[in-house]
Amino acid sequence: MTENPLLLDCDVLVGHDVTTGRWGRPENVAKVFAESGISGGVVSGLRAVHFDVPSGNDEARQVADGNGWSTCPVLDLRDPLGAEKELERQLASDTPPRAIRLAPTAQSVEPAYPAFGHVAQLLVDAGLTIFTEGDVRKVGPALRGLGARVVFLDTHFYYLGDFVLLARSEPGFHTSTRMLTGPDSLEIVAAEVGAERLVLGCRTPFHETRSVIRRLLSSKLSPDEIAQAGSRSLTTLLEPAC
Amino acid sequence: MLIDVHAHWGPWFFSMDVASIDTNIDGLNRFGIDLQLVSAIEAIVYDAPLGNRSLAEQLPADPRLRGMIVVDPRRLDEARTDLDELLAGDGRTRWVGAKIHTEYSRTPMTSPAMQAAIELTTEYGLPTLVHTWGDTVVDLADVAARVPGARVLAGHMGANGWPRVPEAADRCDRVWFEPCWSAPEANRIRWILDRIDPGRMMFGTDATLIDPSVALGALEAADLTPDEHEAVTHRNAIALFGL
Repeated sequence: MTENPLLLDCDVLVGHDVTTGRWGRPENVAKVFAESGISGGVVSGLRAVHFDVPSGNDEARQVADGNGWSTCPVLDLRDPLGAEKELERQLASDTPPRAIRLAPTAQSVEPAYPAFGHVAQLLVDAGLTIFTEGDVRKVGPALRGLGARVVFLDTHFYYLGDFVLLARSEPGFHTSTRMLTGPDSLEIVAAEVGAERLVLGCRTPFHETRSVIRRLLSSKLSPDEIAQAGSRSLTTLLEPAC
Repeated sequence: MLIDVHAHWGPWFFSMDVASIDTNIDGLNRFGIDLQLVSAIEAIVYDAPLGNRSLAEQLPADPRLRGMIVVDPRRLDEARTDLDELLAGDGRTRWVGAKIHTEYSRTPMTSPAMQAAIELTTEYGLPTLVHTWGDTVVDLADVAARVPGARVLAGHMGANGWPRVPEAADRCDRVWFEPCWSAPEANRIRWILDRIDPGRMMFGTDATLIDPSVALGALEAADLTPDEHEAVTHRNAIALFGL
């Protein structure tokens, strides 16, 4: 096991998960980070996913600022007109975001809906990285051909082959490591398209973060590849586009 | 000591390369697993009798491997033949339990065929690992309660149905719980062990479908007491499977 690479979680949620009734509390995130050796991460607000985008994004920003984490605002795909306004507000802020999170499944928006394509194009035009939930087999094709930088947060290893096919022709496509839990899943992605496409994602505090970390650190990736997936991929994605 | 009560051998139809028994052995070595109870993927997803016999040829590859005989509830006559043949002679030193998969056998947990399958494995004195998902973890407890002497292990302990494990434990004292899951939600094991006897849970990985690190990480996160750790990692498995 590789010791002590810098670890950053690209997939942190705070607020109320209305589907299970569980809560993501900032203090619980901090506790899990400390126990798991994670130095920070990118936090989004479930209030924005499920209820009210501006106040939810403001809440997530407060949490991020108070803990030294980064924030990833959410846009509501059910309201593309509101999404235009919220994106404008975010970009006009003193510290504009480098990434936006989309939640098509939670918001019951199919990738083929006009709203999804419109919002995705807005984000590409703004040079922002898209962090998206949802089945990579459905969401991935809707983001092809745009020159988008994307992190698929819900790639399950059952569909790893679909991700690799997409990533071969889309240099901006990345995947969270969270559900790449097969014995050779991380290794296949690294061999096929490079470890720079792997981004550590734990969905702290709702997913079992320790399982994701242990999988990465005990993988057969090289120490450099583990360091790449553990933090460098995310850091690069949060840099301004050239 | 670490005993993995939920593992497999053989190829999967996903984009992965785990067909060789060497994948199992590599996992045993890398993660310090002392015994692994294995069923054949071929038997689960395609042909139970043929898969059981394929596994019989693989078990001698490593002394840490034990077999789980897969029973297809739709083929109980053939299952009885498997049990007779594989358990004959010193067969019980290699085969220590049975495995039933509800979804791949397209047999609902609440169906008469599922109960009949568990009656059969109980007749042969085998603890039976049954795939559970969602509310079926409670349904399995109800089936076990109806079959005198049945001892069943709820594979995945219901996965996303884990909040119902305490209810399942209350419904029947002959059901145990095994928590492996490819997408584990946080803090399940600790939450459940705060509500049920630690004698009811045991460690499993779902290898070689899932990397053992995933189950080990979840176990670490549960912050087990020394007694809980001993119970979950090996004591309960030794008692249930007679290892």
